[in-house]
Amino acid sequence: MRGPKDFRLSDGTVIDHLPVGTAARALEVLNLPRGGPVTVGMNVPSTTFGRKDIIRVEGVELSKSELDRLALLGQRVTVSLVRDGDVAHKVVLETPLEVEGILRCPNPTCITNQEEVVTVFHRIGDFPYRFRCHHCERTRSIHEETEEALPTRR
Amino acid sequence: MDVTEAHRAFRGRSVISAEDFHKEDLLAVLDAARRFDPEGGSHQYEPLLQGRILATLFHEPSTRTRLSFEAAMLRLGGQVLGFAEPHQTSFSKGESLADAIRVVASYCDVIVLRHPMEGAARLASESSEVPVLNGGDGSNQHPTQTLLDLYTIRKSTGRLDGLKVAFMGDLRYGRTVHSLANALLNFDVQLSFVGPESLRLPDVLRQRVEAAGRLGSEVSSVEELDEDIDVLYATRIQKERFPDPLDYERVRSAYRLTRASLDRFGDDLKILHPLPRVDEVAMDVDLHPGAVYFEQARNGVTVRMALLHLILGEGADA
Ligand SMILES: [Zn+2]
Repeated sequence: MRGPKDFRLSDGTVIDHLPVGTAARALEVLNLPRGGPVTVGMNVPSTTFGRKDIIRVEGVELSKSELDRLALLGQRVTVSLVRDGDVAHKVVLETPLEVEGILRCPNPTCITNQEEVVTVFHRIGDFPYRFRCHHCERTRSIHEETEEALPTRR
Repeated sequence: MDVTEAHRAFRGRSVISAEDFHKEDLLAVLDAARRFDPEGGSHQYEPLLQGRILATLFHEPSTRTRLSFEAAMLRLGGQVLGFAEPHQTSFSKGESLADAIRVVASYCDVIVLRHPMEGAARLASESSEVPVLNGGDGSNQHPTQTLLDLYTIRKSTGRLDGLKVAFMGDLRYGRTVHSLANALLNFDVQLSFVGPESLRLPDVLRQRVEAAGRLGSEVSSVEELDEDIDVLYATRIQKERFPDPLDYERVRSAYRLTRASLDRFGDDLKILHPLPRVDEVAMDVDLHPGAVYFEQARNGVTVRMALLHLILGEGADA
């Protein structure tokens, strides 16, 4: 049984409109749980999207680099910053056509895994997105990355 | 585009991936190559790049690619320096590729890089002040091979549109097959594929060919191919692809071209192979009037001369 209390954040972040099935990836990307309690909703009915995943984290504010990574998961991932129980700031993340310095290439013989290089990936086509490594030209989905997150070098 | 436009488009440009070439770029290189075609025999000495230096940096051996580039530069009156294997040099001692390229770029006017890792040439071109030509980066790209293949097809058949081209051998891992098939999709061609089940075309490429409406047949033996194909592009099947040596032996004998196996296709068929062959093309095929694989190797010099001239030469004197 979930009471309304579980849904209410006092200070934290709501990550909404995640495509169904990407919540687990988002937790990985954000290195959750950390901060306070984390509530994860999967396959939740949504008025605009049919179904969606949603994450609520108490006590965590996301960095620019974390937002950049979340933007790769879906077309209109929405992130709301909650302070004192109210939405203080809300952004709809846009997936960039070029992703710089965020993803690591899963191809072990890609030169970017040997040299110190800022990786670049090109977004291919519509959602669900695939990304092509600018260097080795292999394509990958967003779900392939299992290593530690690369630091953003911007 | 005309010759002047082609020079303008290519001046100082790196050549990293066949994927970077639009149809008009491909045609510009093929057209430019006509000028250097010796039509059999040796290439003429045309000192258009006198005083220019080509560095060939081969981090893994590929004798034919290296010699072909060097021959092209020497025929154009330029000079070459470089290494054929990394252990001849101090390059393998921990220095980053980017740093090494930056240094070499200050010694020369153009670099040819061969490297076992995918993406090395792209990275090099981003670190280099002079154009970088990709002489092969791992299993990824070998764009001058694609250009010389296209040149050979057009020269031997007289066209690129309206052709039926069949690829045979390692369709799954064969870099030359993938690049050439992609490049041919710029033209009105029908592509067929002959290979063992385990070495079928990668899905991405297959879908691309199919979506373009250019997929002919996919068969597992030469006997099943349509008789009216114009070009048969054979490639080697690598032993390492087969964990069981018996499987390899079976496949090897099934994908061996002989003069007799080609009889039903007629004499207009052109047979290409990127070389070196082991035994997938029998010696008696050499006598087939359409066996153009040695000419294909010669065309490698022709096309590389054209490319070097487009990138480094003056358009006005062309
Ligand atoms: Zn890569």
